[in-house]
Amino acid sequence: MKKRTPKNIFRQGAIPASFIGESIQKHSSKTEIGAHSIFLGQVRADEVDGKKVEAIEYTTYEEMALQKMHEIRESVFEKYPITCMHVYHSLGTVPTGEICLFVFTSSGHRRAATDACNELVEWIKAELPIWGKELLEGESYQWKVNN
Amino acid sequence: MMKILVFGQLTDIFKGSFIRLKDIPDTDTMIRKLEEKYPALKKMKYLIAIDKEIVKENTTLGEESEVSLLPPFSGG
Repeated sequence: MKKRTPKNIFRQGAIPASFIGESIQKHSSKTEIGAHSIFLGQVRADEVDGKKVEAIEYTTYEEMALQKMHEIRESVFEKYPITCMHVYHSLGTVPTGEICLFVFTSSGHRRAATDACNELVEWIKAELPIWGKELLEGESYQWKVNN
Repeated sequence: MMKILVFGQLTDIFKGSFIRLKDIPDTDTMIRKLEEKYPALKKMKYLIAIDKEIVKENTTLGEESEVSLLPPFSGG
């Protein structure tokens, strides 16, 4: 198997829709691809004790997260016949309604892309040392909990 | 002096992103000393990582060890 170097998955602030569009466009030259699967995480305006979440502020243990993501990437490439895999996660403040996670897989046929994409999202949420602080109306906050 | 990195909700307890401790031979001693100094830690859920690998049992620490306390992850 060819060796891949760890990639930086982190982006400061929200992930713009235009960036997602451009990422899709970049694959038009890879004509062996027949299917893309995309997961987008959006910051939800949950209500906590009557106060609305206005944004999530993300922090990470970056070196550990990138090392872990590299391991996940390798194992998913090994398990599924996919041609491409792209993962982007926000750091810093992302307002509600904006995109904070972008996972993008491509393959010859749809099954591999969708399965790999779903599995990646689960791994990212469970294994990467990233923390979300939910910023509420009126300057209070609570730490996000993943289900 | 050993540096311990803390993240997420633990930064509230430690009032910052790291703490320094002296004379820490292993992780059990580290936790005991930290809980004495920061009793709120007893109620927290977290994992210990040494050099970015999670350890579940008492582990010997060296001066060069990069120790971190990781509360439950909440990315995505």
